[in-house]
Amino acid sequence: MAPNLHLAHVSDVLLTWAVFCYAFAMLGYAAEFAGTRRAARAIENGERRNGALYSRRLGQAAVALTFIGWAIEVGSVTTRGLAVHRVPWGNMYEFSCMVTLVAVTIYLTLLLSQPLKRIGAFLTLRPSRHTMSWRSRESVRYLGAFLMAPVVLYIGIAATVLYAAPGPLVPALDSYWIKIHVVAAITATGAFMVSGVVTLLYLLKERYERGLPPLHMVIARRLRSPRHPEQFSFGPGTAAAAEMNAASSGLMQSLPSAESLDRLAYRVITFAFPVWTFAIIAGAIWAETAWSRYWGWDPKETWSFITWLGYAAYLHARATAGWRGRRAAMLSLIAFGSLMIDYYVVNTVITGLHSYAGIS
Amino acid sequence: MTDTIVEEEQPAPLSTQPERPADPAGRGPIVAAVRIWRQFTSMRTALLLLALLALAAIPGTVIPQRGLDPVKVNSYLAAHPHLGPLMDKLSLFDVFAAPWFVLIFILLFVSVVGCVIPRVRLHYRAMRRRPPNAPRHLLRMSASTGWETDESPAALGKRVHTMLRSSHWRADLRTEADGGVTVSAEKGYLRETGNLIFHIALLLLLVGIALSSLYGYKGTVLVSQGGGFSNARADYDVFEPSRLFSDSQLSPFSLTMQSFKATYNPANGEPLTFKADVHYTSSPTSPSKPYVVQVNHPLNLPGAKVFLVGHGYSLIMKVTNADGTVKYDGPTAFLPDNSLFASHGVLKVPSLGAGGGQLGLTGEFYPTAAVTQSGGLQSIFPAPDHPVLALSAWQGNLGFNTGIPQSDYSLPVTGLKNIGITQLSPGGSWKLPDGATVKFVGVQQWATFQVAHEPGKRTVLVAAVLIVVGLLGSLRVRRRRFWIRAVPAPVGQDPRRTVVTAAGLARSDVGGFVDELDDLVKQIGRSPHGAIETERD
Ligand code: HEM
Repeated sequence: MAPNLHLAHVSDVLLTWAVFCYAFAMLGYAAEFAGTRRAARAIENGERRNGALYSRRLGQAAVALTFIGWAIEVGSVTTRGLAVHRVPWGNMYEFSCMVTLVAVTIYLTLLLSQPLKRIGAFLTLRPSRHTMSWRSRESVRYLGAFLMAPVVLYIGIAATVLYAAPGPLVPALDSYWIKIHVVAAITATGAFMVSGVVTLLYLLKERYERGLPPLHMVIARRLRSPRHPEQFSFGPGTAAAAEMNAASSGLMQSLPSAESLDRLAYRVITFAFPVWTFAIIAGAIWAETAWSRYWGWDPKETWSFITWLGYAAYLHARATAGWRGRRAAMLSLIAFGSLMIDYYVVNTVITGLHSYAGIS
Repeated sequence: MTDTIVEEEQPAPLSTQPERPADPAGRGPIVAAVRIWRQFTSMRTALLLLALLALAAIPGTVIPQRGLDPVKVNSYLAAHPHLGPLMDKLSLFDVFAAPWFVLIFILLFVSVVGCVIPRVRLHYRAMRRRPPNAPRHLLRMSASTGWETDESPAALGKRVHTMLRSSHWRADLRTEADGGVTVSAEKGYLRETGNLIFHIALLLLLVGIALSSLYGYKGTVLVSQGGGFSNARADYDVFEPSRLFSDSQLSPFSLTMQSFKATYNPANGEPLTFKADVHYTSSPTSPSKPYVVQVNHPLNLPGAKVFLVGHGYSLIMKVTNADGTVKYDGPTAFLPDNSLFASHGVLKVPSLGAGGGQLGLTGEFYPTAAVTQSGGLQSIFPAPDHPVLALSAWQGNLGFNTGIPQSDYSLPVTGLKNIGITQLSPGGSWKLPDGATVKFVGVQQWATFQVAHEPGKRTVLVAAVLIVVGLLGSLRVRRRRFWIRAVPAPVGQDPRRTVVTAAGLARSDVGGFVDELDDLVKQIGRSPHGAIETERD
């Protein structure tokens, strides 16, 4: 059946709207950060009108926009599926959209799984030792600001570089396995994207908690005066470190503790890793019916395996003395890097049997 | 956690990894061997080997691999005359069968064996042991609470113990010297069970892979429309037996292809469907049955699976010599050169008789031909909508009698004499200078089938299922402990009151543990938040 071009166009337009929503949501989240910081300073100075309420409203608006963007993206994906009379994940353009949809869904699910009252309560009173409450959950709204950036980027790349005109599936993909294998791969990728963002935040916050200045500031300084690196000592407690940390402390204090970021990243990965494992296995079963062998070290298979090993290494690192924390987090980011290679580089540059990018 | 006291008071973290006995002390080769083995089966080694394996796989995705694309490997070798052979020595064109790659794999799995066996034993013991006693100061733990009640310590302990047991905790009731009562409970042994299943399933996976690669076979055969093959070594164009394969494993099926159909997207020539209509018999005595083999629909036979892996055009040509005897009449398979199925092929006629020596025809075939700007021919669509066959005829010694194996698809023309070229449409004829005629009768399709037998497939599948199941248990189940202590109120306070403290500890919180504790405490009869108020003074 020929694709319904009108519906496909509707899908494209909806996607544009979804991206706008996400982009404005990102601005809203960022404004809330800035506002919280200003408000905190105002409270310190004893000012009564401190704008804390105002910036909370911005954050709430950003959450609302994220929900709206999500709903519009669901509409976009659905109309695309109706337009091409098949599942809407048959080429890289469509995968990318699905992956962002999964990532945003996971974020919204995390948000909704918090008690509603607590959404947005960045600052919690530190309980005294003896009465420490065991209800110490924090809002994940901070995540919105950082997740929207890769989401917008991902859709942006999809809609420009990877865009594929609506059309049917190539015979190799035309199997019910596309519903099983690809859905699992998309779900895991979306979840790994979320854990990747959280892990990055963890590394930032962990540095901050050790009293070290943010890496990008150190690099910027070094670049500005490369001649005299000995002038700059950035160790904990130095004046330079204190100065740079002061500059970033608003952001850093709005983030939850490194420990709870680490826990959240782990929690998301414990969801994503079994799904990824299943995706690889389902892929092998599919390969067996399609190409007569379940494993052939095709570049796509190999990079999926490398990614899997990377996350397995991360999980082991978390249980290994001396590897917990920062090093484990680095492993998880490296694993995410190989996932991105698997997705972008292998599909477009290396290409083996898995030639379904839909771009030419 | 900033509070060091809290840290000290916490019992050892609830790793599902059981405590290992201490390394043996002293010297000597045995002690040294035990130490090395310990080191080798430690988590750190597992971590290292996992990372190493990942790194080792990377070259296999950037350097052309023989197993995937031997043609590319050869052209790479030709382009790098110095570096190429060196890389070949290092097995860089066969990374996944390279000794160093296999070595890492084997080390990893030996390490798994060495690490899993003691863990199975320890886990079995842990499951039968009493849960560890409550730490002294429960309130110092990060998830803890306390309250007071009128219920006596003994009654409360008994009630909580029964309650926990009925919700599947392993619980243990103890009475302390000062009249206090504690209940220690533990749950989530499934975490370690799942983890062990996962690691053992990895070993099982390897067994399955080994079975296939020791006893399996793989054959490829090209079949023209109307033709067929039987499952015998001689019938295959390419046959790859495994090391321990014997011919008796070939199940006695045979297959003929009635027709092959391919459809293409009219807009861009991309393939839509491939279908091979076949008739097969699973054994010489059983009746013949029809089946449609498609890309994602292999034919499942006992002991083998038949896959459709490729297709192309066969050109039916009829060669008649000057005196009218038919020297050749039948299909000749042409190999596709691109996705639009411009194809090439060769027809060799041993002897035209009557003084005409051996005749070789080399052909280019264009299923939907169009003239390029430079005047040549090209194919603009993969279906045979406007087929054109361009032929060159060669005379001379084609080497039939030399004993050197001949390619079916190419003809080395050095030493041969070109006696003409032409272009034919179906039905067209071409008269050669010596009086022979070549008639282009028509176009047929051929298909290549791959027949594969992998005896370890079942095992691999079972292992794969166990891997996922084990992983879910290992990652999504929380191993957690819960303690409650009830002691009579201290001297000077109401002696009928009981002071209750409770705490919980979860290994790698996957979320929801706090809620579970809240619910437990609510069930026991007190909200934790109310309790905190009474604690504060
Ligand atoms: C083929 C190689 C291996 C793979 C793919 C693999 C994978 C995994 C995975 C996914 C987990 C779950 C992590 C968690 O529970 O947080 C795990 C846990 C574990 N693995 Fe492995 N593993 C491998 C080899 C080994 C080896 C050689 C050892 C022996 C030292 C080992 C020891 C453990 C232990 C003790 C745990 C539990 C860790 C804990 O208590 O958190 N693994 N493994």
